[in-house]
Amino acid sequence: MENVATDENWKTCFAQLAPGLLLFARQWARSPADAEDIVQEAFVRFWRKHHDIANRGLLYATVRSIALDFLRRDSRRARRESMAIADIDQTVPPTFEIEDESQRQLVAALDLLPNEQREVLVMKIWNELTFAEIASTLEISQNTAASRYRYALATLKKNLPSV
Amino acid sequence: MNDFSDIEKQLRKLRPVQPSADLMTRIERELAEEASERSTHLRTETARHVSTAGVLPRERKFRFNWRSVGFGLAAATALVLFAFLRLERPAKKTPSLAGLSPVPAFSTNSNAQLVPAGLTQVVYHTRDEGLHFSRNSDQPMRRVRSHTRETLQWRNPTTGASLQISYPSEQVSLVPVTGQ
Repeated sequence: MENVATDENWKTCFAQLAPGLLLFARQWARSPADAEDIVQEAFVRFWRKHHDIANRGLLYATVRSIALDFLRRDSRRARRESMAIADIDQTVPPTFEIEDESQRQLVAALDLLPNEQREVLVMKIWNELTFAEIASTLEISQNTAASRYRYALATLKKNLPSV
Repeated sequence: MNDFSDIEKQLRKLRPVQPSADLMTRIERELAEEASERSTHLRTETARHVSTAGVLPRERKFRFNWRSVGFGLAAATALVLFAFLRLERPAKKTPSLAGLSPVPAFSTNSNAQLVPAGLTQVVYHTRDEGLHFSRNSDQPMRRVRSHTRETLQWRNPTTGASLQISYPSEQVSLVPVTGQ
């Protein structure tokens, strides 16, 4: 099956997916290095199991799961999971190659989005996942995914009247 | 029309930062390590089967074992014969077993449409009362008392109605004792 992850074509796939995956992982990582560690672990795990590459939802779910594990590992032992997730807002925001001032404002507005809206936006815009794939990754309904996306865009539009 | 097309367009213009060159090298190394572990494991497994250096074990081929087939067929035939002989032998009547008798030969006189459907006799208690010497026999007999519950069933095939009568019964049987 040509869609299945094999040792031969991993570089091609990774080159295509890496920027989006890294952006996705950086939502939870405390540093860019942590984000790269998360992507590395997720990608290797996904590749070793020879999953279908078309199943991108599973790949992003793996990244998310490992990222949350990273967060929990860093947290104090007694800390509960909910508190670990609450820490997400203090993490490194997604980073972009900024070309002008308008883009800088856009990125700043993006950083202010609630995490649940930002992750849907990251998956939809820069990873080109469908709402069905996003829903499967986040274990939410497609309607919820779509509405989070719309809320995110509405918030950005409100905060950036010039756009 | 999508109200957010402008903002979506602006967002798509943003390019995420590329991962470091080191990341791909690390992944390559990790996947290579795994592949090497796999091949080492494979080599170890192979070495276990190699009898002399450089000589690869002969590939296992499927061979039909006629002896096993013969034994199997003989066992199957014996089993079938045994089952057949068991079926042919008349069933021994034992008082301690409950059984479903064939349809009783009598019918009700109250309703001609009801036909006998079954007779069940359940022996729920048997007591050995010891030796008994009857007057008209010089041979000792063993007296066995059995408590049973008999259930008679009738059924109307046209309407599906059924009638069931159940009653307890006691049976005393004298079994001749043979001297040894």
